[in-house]
Order: sequence, then structure tokens, then C-alpha cells
Amino acid sequence: MSATAQVPAQGAAGLRVEAVVAGYYSGQTVLKGVTLDARPGQLTVVLGPNGAGKSTILRVLAGYLRPEAGRVLLDERDITRVPPHRRLDLGVAFLPQGRSVFPNLTVAQNVELGGWIHRRDHVRLRRAVETVYQRYPTVRQLRGRPAGSLSGGQQRSVEIARMMVADPSVILIDEPSAGLAPILADEIYQELAALKMEGRTILLVDQNVRAAVDIADYVYTLESGLNHLDGDRSRFEGDLGALIRGWLGVV
Amino acid sequence: MLNLLLQAAVDGILIGLVYAVMSVGLSLSMGILGVLNVSHSAFIMLGSFFALGMLVFLHLDPVIAFVLAVPLFFVVGAAVHRLLIRRVERAPATIGILILFGLMVVIETGGILAWTTDTRVLTTGYTNLHFALGPLTIGWVQVLAGLLALALTGAIYAFLRFTMNGRAILAMAQNRDAAAMLGMDTDRLAMIVFGIGIGAAGAGGVAIAMIFPFDPQDQIQWLSWAFLVVVLGGLGRVENTLLAGLVIGLIQSLAGTLLPFRYVYLILYLLLFAILVVRGEGLSGVRRRAL
Repeated sequence: MSATAQVPAQGAAGLRVEAVVAGYYSGQTVLKGVTLDARPGQLTVVLGPNGAGKSTILRVLAGYLRPEAGRVLLDERDITRVPPHRRLDLGVAFLPQGRSVFPNLTVAQNVELGGWIHRRDHVRLRRAVETVYQRYPTVRQLRGRPAGSLSGGQQRSVEIARMMVADPSVILIDEPSAGLAPILADEIYQELAALKMEGRTILLVDQNVRAAVDIADYVYTLESGLNHLDGDRSRFEGDLGALIRGWLGVV
Repeated sequence: MLNLLLQAAVDGILIGLVYAVMSVGLSLSMGILGVLNVSHSAFIMLGSFFALGMLVFLHLDPVIAFVLAVPLFFVVGAAVHRLLIRRVERAPATIGILILFGLMVVIETGGILAWTTDTRVLTTGYTNLHFALGPLTIGWVQVLAGLLALALTGAIYAFLRFTMNGRAILAMAQNRDAAAMLGMDTDRLAMIVFGIGIGAAGAGGVAIAMIFPFDPQDQIQWLSWAFLVVVLGGLGRVENTLLAGLVIGLIQSLAGTLLPFRYVYLILYLLLFAILVVRGEGLSGVRRRAL
């Protein structure tokens, strides 16, 4: 284990993407020089049409994809080359798109593994798990169930609970409401807003433009792997329809 | 006749335990890492010769060799993972199979150079000792080998089931990216899994050498037996591998008692064929997960 202390949620960190160029195959860049700032304690939203590079930017931030150029900074520290499994130690958590529970393990085992980085400190691990169960009582009720047997919404709750065991200060989320009923999606966005109010830094990538802008402090849009627009929420609230129509090619 | 069947059943169970421990590593590397380790049996062979060397040069009993083989072959397996597997993990599966096939050939050839192709047997003070249990006659080596095999298989099961490292390994098998994002060093966990598998192969080789004659070239037959066990039991689950080992040991022993030996393979493979057609994948019916 590295000696780096975990950044407490109170002293939220800022995450900065600087002129990142990245792609999955050589010669085919998805991101062609994107710069973003997830300011400390704020909820930053990244929007854009399909293929703009939204999910790719999160894969770079989570460490799964190493950029060809550019940097990722956590406060002043360059974490561009930090492998994925070291980022939670630095307080950066990632919730990917789609299902990511371990389906053959129980909910309790899933949640416990959320505290993997505290595995050598049993007291701390147990306390962290208990705190999470207090916060998400519905997840506690599901403890004995195999995670794969739960509904999509329940699995999302387990994923969020599991992520919160590590008490991250920066949260990266990719399309949290995809595939969920609208009422469940509302709950997820309320929870994200609550996590921000606790002083955490949140970077949200979403197709659900309206819901995302509603809770955003700051909004970026990407197009074809490049920055397009950015500004405070107020700048986007008015003409969302025009923005979306533009992405769909309907002028 | 009943006594004959009972005798065959007991012999089958004891040998089945050895089949299980010899196969469990193949099941783990396929089911958890998605690596088809065709060099698995070469490490079984190395385990057999390790037992021979311990006995001849250090006068150490095979029971001690079995215990020593676990950590020794764990380290060997971990090194193979670090130097070979990690490099080919993300390459197409055929590349990995070719490289591991190459490793098997290298080890086998090395074995022939070092030990020639002579057939060896491990002879200890109790090799031909038997005890009576009612109407049954049971060999001490079979009992020792079977109990050692059961203990190691059980220990691997308990490690995966009851420790946090074990659960992390199971989690990694289900979703490697998700495991990494929770802070798990998946390369390190994979190395541990592969090390455990080779550790069990080496120890299994010691158990094999306690019971059967062996030479560097006959290891490939153990690969086919291990495949039989793994396919019958399904991938990546220790308890199913144990069950499949017992089933195959029993069938071999019972069929061998009732029929000429040449029918044993026929029956085993017909059974395998039938199970695959009916269940899709082994006794457990576990679906192969994309890794």
C-alpha cells in the first residue's frame, strides 16, 4: 500500500483535465484535446451527443485509459499515470455506466468489498460499512441477497452504497439513470445533490440532459472529442431544447 | 459382488480426491482468469519428480514433499504469471494457448533431459502396506494421498470463500474493472490465483507419484484427466471440481471393476458428452463469463 493518506471528504479536492488526447486504438483519437475542471465541492456536468467522448473522459479520469497527451491533476498532483486501483486511495471513486455489482456475491459481500482499501483495519472497515447501512437502510434490508438477483434500481443503490464505504472526496459518475424508471432516476439525482452538499466534488457525465443540468453547478459540452460550450448552470437552463436538437441534427 | 463394488467405490473416492486437487488449478485459471493453461500438467509432472528428489536425496517422506510443494510451486506459478501470463492476458486467447503449449513442451523436454524417459515409482516404507476395514482392503498410500488432497482442496475452498482476499478474487472473476475501481490490485490477485493453481498442481503431482508410476512424457495424460474433471465440474468453483473429481474417480474405479479397462475412457467421455449436451456446461451449469 502506498503511504498516501486518504483525502477526507471535508477538504474536497479539485480534478482537472488538461488538453487530454486519448483513444482506444492507435491513430483513432476519441478525445482531441479536452480541458475540464471539476471544482472542489461542486457538481460538474459533461454533456454531449453520442460519440463526443463523454465516457472516454471518465475512463481517462478513472485510470483505465492512459492518455496519449495531456494531464490529469488532482489538486496540484499529476495523477495521469496512477493505475485505476490506486485512485480510490487518493479519494477518487468511479461509478461506471451499466451494472457493476458482483452478481454472484451477496449484497453484504459487495458492500464489504467497497471498503477494500481499509481491509487491514477491521474496526474502521466495520464502522464504514455500518455508516453506509445507516445511510442506505434499503440496502441493509437486501444484505443476504445475491446482488445479481436484484432489480436494476436496487443494483444501482448497492453500487452507490458500495462506493460510499470508502468515503470518497471526488466522485466520477457515468449515466447514473440509464435504464432506470423516472422515479428511481429522480432519487439518484437527489442523492448526487446530497453528496455534493456534503462537500464532495462530483463529475457527472450524462445523456439525461435536463436532470443533469438541474443539479449542476457548472456545465461543459463536448462535440467530436473537443470542448464546445461551458458555463454556469444558468447559461444552459434556457435553451436546452435547442442544444439537444442541434446534437440530433434537427435544426 | 457387493464387497467388490464397495471396494471399488472406496478406491474410486480416494483416487477421485487426488484427481480433484490435480485439477483445481486448471479450473481456477480458466474460470477466474480466463486463461486456458495447457501447461498445467507439466507442473504436475514437476511435482512428481520433486517428490522423487526429496525422497532420494533428502530422504523426505512424500507427505512432507506434498506440504513443501504447495509454497514452492505457488512461487513458481506466481513467477510464471508475472513473466508470461500477464503479457499475453489481453492478447487473443489462441496466442496465450500457444505460448503455454510452448511452456509445456519446454518443461517436458527439460524433464526428459534431466531425468530421461524411464518410468519411476516412489517407494516408501508403507507403499505396499494395507489395512483391513471389514471386508475391504485399503492401501495406506491411497488414504494418505487422498487425505492430503482433500485437505489442500478444502483449504483453497476456505480461502476463496471465507477470506476477504478470496472474495476479492471471486469479485474480480465477475467484473475485473469494478474490482480495480474499488482499489483491488487485480494483477496481484490474478498472480495469487495462478500461484495457488500451480501450487495445487505441484502438490497433486506428489500425490500422483505416491500412487502411480510416472515419467516426464506421461504428463499429457494428466492434462486430459484434469480437463475431464474441469469440464464435468464447471469452471472456477472449487466445490464443483471436488465433486467432479470424485465422480470421475468412482466411474473409473467401478467401470474398471466391472468392464475391461479399455471401456473406462469410453464411458467417461460418453458421460461427459451427455452432460455437456444436457446441461450446457458441466455439473454446475455455471455460464462461462467473459473476462
